[in-house]
Amino acid sequence: MMQLLSKQKFLFLFGILLVVTPFVVTNRFYLNIFILILLYATIAGSWNILGGYGGQLSLGHAIFFGIGAYTSTLLYLNFGVSPWLGFIIAAVISIVVGILIGWPAFRLRGTYFTLTTIAFAEVIRHLTLYFRDVTKGAIGVNIRFEPSFANLIFREYSAYYFVVLVLFVISIAIAIWVDKTKVGYYLKAIREDEDGAETLGIHVTKYKMIAMVISAGMTGIAGVFYAQYMLFFEPISVFNMNFSIEIALIAIIGGVGTVFGPVLGAFIIIPLNELLRSSFPSLSGMNYLIYGVVLILIVSFLPNGLLPILKSIPKKLKGLNKKNIKVEDGEKVDYSG
Amino acid sequence: MTIVQTLISGILLGGIYSLISMGLNLILGVVRIVNFAHGELLMIAMYISFLFYTTMGLDPYVSAILVIICLFLLGVLTQRFMIQPILDTPASTKIFATLGLSIALQNLALMTLSANHLSVKTSYQTSVINIGELAVSIPRLVAFGAAVGVAVVLYLFLQKTLTGKAIRAVAMQKQAAFLMGINVKRIYLLAFGIGSGLVGLAGALLMPIYSVYPTIGASFILIAFVVVVLGGMGSMFGAFFGGLIIGLVEALSGVIFDPGLKEAIYFVIFIMVLLVRPSGIFSLGKGAEEVGLK
Repeated sequence: MMQLLSKQKFLFLFGILLVVTPFVVTNRFYLNIFILILLYATIAGSWNILGGYGGQLSLGHAIFFGIGAYTSTLLYLNFGVSPWLGFIIAAVISIVVGILIGWPAFRLRGTYFTLTTIAFAEVIRHLTLYFRDVTKGAIGVNIRFEPSFANLIFREYSAYYFVVLVLFVISIAIAIWVDKTKVGYYLKAIREDEDGAETLGIHVTKYKMIAMVISAGMTGIAGVFYAQYMLFFEPISVFNMNFSIEIALIAIIGGVGTVFGPVLGAFIIIPLNELLRSSFPSLSGMNYLIYGVVLILIVSFLPNGLLPILKSIPKKLKGLNKKNIKVEDGEKVDYSG
Repeated sequence: MTIVQTLISGILLGGIYSLISMGLNLILGVVRIVNFAHGELLMIAMYISFLFYTTMGLDPYVSAILVIICLFLLGVLTQRFMIQPILDTPASTKIFATLGLSIALQNLALMTLSANHLSVKTSYQTSVINIGELAVSIPRLVAFGAAVGVAVVLYLFLQKTLTGKAIRAVAMQKQAAFLMGINVKRIYLLAFGIGSGLVGLAGALLMPIYSVYPTIGASFILIAFVVVVLGGMGSMFGAFFGGLIIGLVEALSGVIFDPGLKEAIYFVIFIMVLLVRPSGIFSLGKGAEEVGLK
């Protein structure tokens, strides 16, 4: 069975399943999980361009998520700008902020880059809390439930589902583009050996910046969707370092520097998260405890994530099938190897 | 007079930051590990101190030596069983491993110990020394004195003793140190143990000042990173003075600007230091980038 499923066929089937999902899954609880999976897969995929392919481990991606949410929502609430337009404006502002952060931060490497992104995220979070006249400070922002297409507010979860599905498909398309073009190869070269890459004539800062632009823009767009879907957010939910860790974790669990790693990660982490939250409501922190343990185990034992293992399954099955055929032919089979 | 009072409280606060940061800096400088779980070690130290207080009635200052021993052992175990197996992996791997440890410990505490703030009651915790109109809190003065003491002792230990010299040798060039017959793995265990023991001392001395709760480490860890980078990796005096500077910045920005902006201000300073002089103000001339990479 598995040997018939080539990669293309598997992806085709996966695509069809994603489109059919909202017609089959009508329960709001479960559909919500699917929406969150696609949202987090999109964000983790965006992180993966910079953090996975480029090896620039940002722990400040909440910046762009929060900027996306605040930009579109403040424009919508104060000036009646449609969140559809907000997608574009939020992406532009996220990109500008991304460049402003990357311009100095890309001079630093490794841990120092990571610490800098954390510091930027903290500065922006505290400024959001401080300028409460504009941002409403710690109490957060409420969007009134006025469903309409222009407002990007829907009564039906399935409508949200298709919006996030489009974002998800765009993020996958971008990831494939990065993966197949020289951008991806250059980024991988920078990740493996920055000095070596530079010696070979790769404009290191330029390609890091390209990764930052893609990553920041997509994360900002995801932030807009989050705001319109939740209809409430506060600095602690969108500018949270735990959020930055979570999306990195999703990419790492699936497999960094691959197109579908973050998708796999989201399909594992998000249902687990929701399940733990609904099963153990009294044990707050249970999901994060498991996150922490999983993170340690993955980086210690499976630094490439779970995707390589998943990919190896069909091959193994194929191998087994061949052996079975041989057995039918009455040949001797050595199972020890 | 109020400005003098602000300066004093800033310096005393800085002493607390120094005390927490020196252990972090030792681990960072020697083992080259960004230990995100350092804040959680502080949290554990404070809970242990609290436990000694409630079960045996031991004053936090008395039980400090026991807390230091516990944390030293905890640090050695962490290094042996968590860090050592991943020592040769890229920096990213190590960051996420300690980050995972931090998240796990924090939430384990949240689940098992609840989010309640626990504090001890001592006779001296609200006492102050009055000098004219100035008031100096005694527990904070003790913590400051300990920070000075630790900086001096650690400096002498690293400069004058053979073990200290071995630690510095490993920090500078671990291959060369290995070739000179130094047991690098043992030095790593020792450095992680001492670094954790120092945060144990910090936890014990903070117990009369702050109450303990599962996320207390998170409020200190980022400050500790700011202090370490500001002062310069591997420089104990750098961490000490870095702590004082951040304490002063925090106290002064509360007066000059707005208390709500103090965090934003020291993170801006942090970013500026990283950009202008990433090796830190008191650095030993070692490139920060090099340390960040390997």
